[in-house]
Amino acid sequence: ATRYRTKAGRLKKPFIKVEDITRYYRPFYHQFDCYPEINYHGPNPCSPFDVEKKNKSGDKQNKGKTRSKHHEMSCSEKNRRMERKIMETLKEKKKRGYCECCTVKYDDLKAHLKSEQHKTFSQSTEFNVVDQITSQFDCDFEEFPKVKMKRVKCSV
Amino acid sequence: GYPAEIKMDIDRLYEAVPQLSKMFLIEDKIGEGTFSSVYLASAQLKSGLIEKFALKHLIPTSHPVRIAAELQCLAIAGGQDNVMGVKSCFRKDDHVVIVMPYLEHVSFLDLLGSMRLEEVCKYMFNLLKALRRIHHFGIIHRDIKPSNFLYNGHLKKYALVDFGLAQGTPDTEINLLKVVKTEEQQGSGSRCKPTTSSGNKVFHTITINKPLAQQTTGKQPIKRPGPLLQPKHGKEEYLNLSTQRSVFGERSLNVCCAGYFEGLGIKPGKSMKTTDIASRKIITAKRKISTKGTTSGLVRKPTICPSHLTCDCFMTDKVCNVCLSRRQQVAPRAGTPGFRAPEVLMKCPQQTSAIDMWSAGVVFLSLLSARYPFFKASDDLTALTQIMTIRGSKETLQAAKSFGKTVLCSKESPALDLRTLCERLRGTDSMRKKTFNQNIEVLNCSHLNQGILCNSDFKSIERSPDTKGWDRVPDLAYDLLDKLLDLNPATRITAEKALQHPFFEGL
Repeated sequence: ATRYRTKAGRLKKPFIKVEDITRYYRPFYHQFDCYPEINYHGPNPCSPFDVEKKNKSGDKQNKGKTRSKHHEMSCSEKNRRMERKIMETLKEKKKRGYCECCTVKYDDLKAHLKSEQHKTFSQSTEFNVVDQITSQFDCDFEEFPKVKMKRVKCSV
Repeated sequence: GYPAEIKMDIDRLYEAVPQLSKMFLIEDKIGEGTFSSVYLASAQLKSGLIEKFALKHLIPTSHPVRIAAELQCLAIAGGQDNVMGVKSCFRKDDHVVIVMPYLEHVSFLDLLGSMRLEEVCKYMFNLLKALRRIHHFGIIHRDIKPSNFLYNGHLKKYALVDFGLAQGTPDTEINLLKVVKTEEQQGSGSRCKPTTSSGNKVFHTITINKPLAQQTTGKQPIKRPGPLLQPKHGKEEYLNLSTQRSVFGERSLNVCCAGYFEGLGIKPGKSMKTTDIASRKIITAKRKISTKGTTSGLVRKPTICPSHLTCDCFMTDKVCNVCLSRRQQVAPRAGTPGFRAPEVLMKCPQQTSAIDMWSAGVVFLSLLSARYPFFKASDDLTALTQIMTIRGSKETLQAAKSFGKTVLCSKESPALDLRTLCERLRGTDSMRKKTFNQNIEVLNCSHLNQGILCNSDFKSIERSPDTKGWDRVPDLAYDLLDKLLDLNPATRITAEKALQHPFFEGL
């Protein structure tokens, strides 16, 4: 019994709870709406843990008929679309971030890079550690103007 | 607008690092991540040869020490045994471009559908060779996954890439990774050392004062975790403690900090997803405070629940304001969801190169089951539960105990037979039975009865292109998979040992 008022709650099933045996740290847990299950029937190469929300609605339309090639298409297409979506959001988010050099968060990458603080850092001796390693590489590139010409041609 | 956008990016790169235009013809942008963009370029060497190169342009907010550590990994461990090397590096101010040999490669999804068993065997052998190499130098890669292991089937070439998340072992030969390691040790467990205990000069130069940034755990970072992706504003006031911290803590440790929580009661069906990302240094500071029994100002109701108190919730389905008010344990978790080892998911502070071996096991699991990504989870505990449905809940609990964690799961799941699992997922289960029985009739071969494949069988696989060998996967493949997906990091197979596994006999 402690002098302190304790408020306890029971985790709602299904759940998982992990705690360090030292009991020094906060336990962490997750209560599932949908407990992970292996789905053997999803088309290759979809994850067996793919929650088939879309497929379910598709099944309803098809009255639960066999998974056709159409399904496989939609799955990989879904994956690709997801990937693209992630890339897009990443691109958006890219403007916001954290600068390790200045140790500040920024909302606009471009603006931050132009800031006095960052400019000062980027021109400082902090980068000596990079240059020191770089100086060990032997640079056997040919400086040729031909390449430049090509580039101009390419970009036209 | 796609090619025009790339052209603009290329022009901007030439502008940022003008030296490049003297030597490189940048042809295309071939990759874009949160922390870098990769371009394909060609250049002429002094020998007269024209070669292709990959130019990795790092985000200008990267800390020089982190950049240097990545370069050091490439320079020291790279260029051999399927580890990507470095050709050169160009810098202008904060713009750094790493020049690497270019290896044209196939996407993993395309590989999955076409690879023969024999090719999978070679792929794994070569991945393990790269891992043996980096582990020999005390590098933990932390982000082993197919997109970081380039494969060119025609050239029979492989390359492990991207040391942007790498971490050093205590005895690492990569000096600059020791800086990272120092930080890890600082954050781990009770062996908290004061900042000044480090004799590392670089370490001190990169230690700075900074307010905290945080992120919800619900959204998993694709790569280097930390506030770089989604700095979450608004809750900062609780954590806005100015303390010494390091740049490495920001990225290589995606740390959850339980500085506060909303209310004390448990809302059914709603887990606490709003755990925040903080640095180890902050946690270190909090720990010092809380062990002294004073209020930290970080906990909303600090007077009710000093964190050294124990409660009756341990190993039960309960949580209370006492246990929930304790500080969160700090452990590195940088990497990609779905490839994190159980000890990473359970926040084990001492992580070894065994975490890379687990990830290699997940790659192998994908190859054998023809599913990619195999695990698909939006948070660490869902990922852990998915692992448990494959490897067994009892087995996971037992392994967790070995590294100091207790797991309580409301659902029990048996460990699955890996062969059955993979064959069902690949869709070769029925096919195998059929051909297996046929083979038994034709050849009364003892090793076939055991399901073990020998070199002569590989030849017969080549003769049956329809199945690509998937009707006769040897037991040895699943034995190796079992050893890579060992839930206990202490007993998990090492790269060195895995290369000697009989599955690779003859290679």
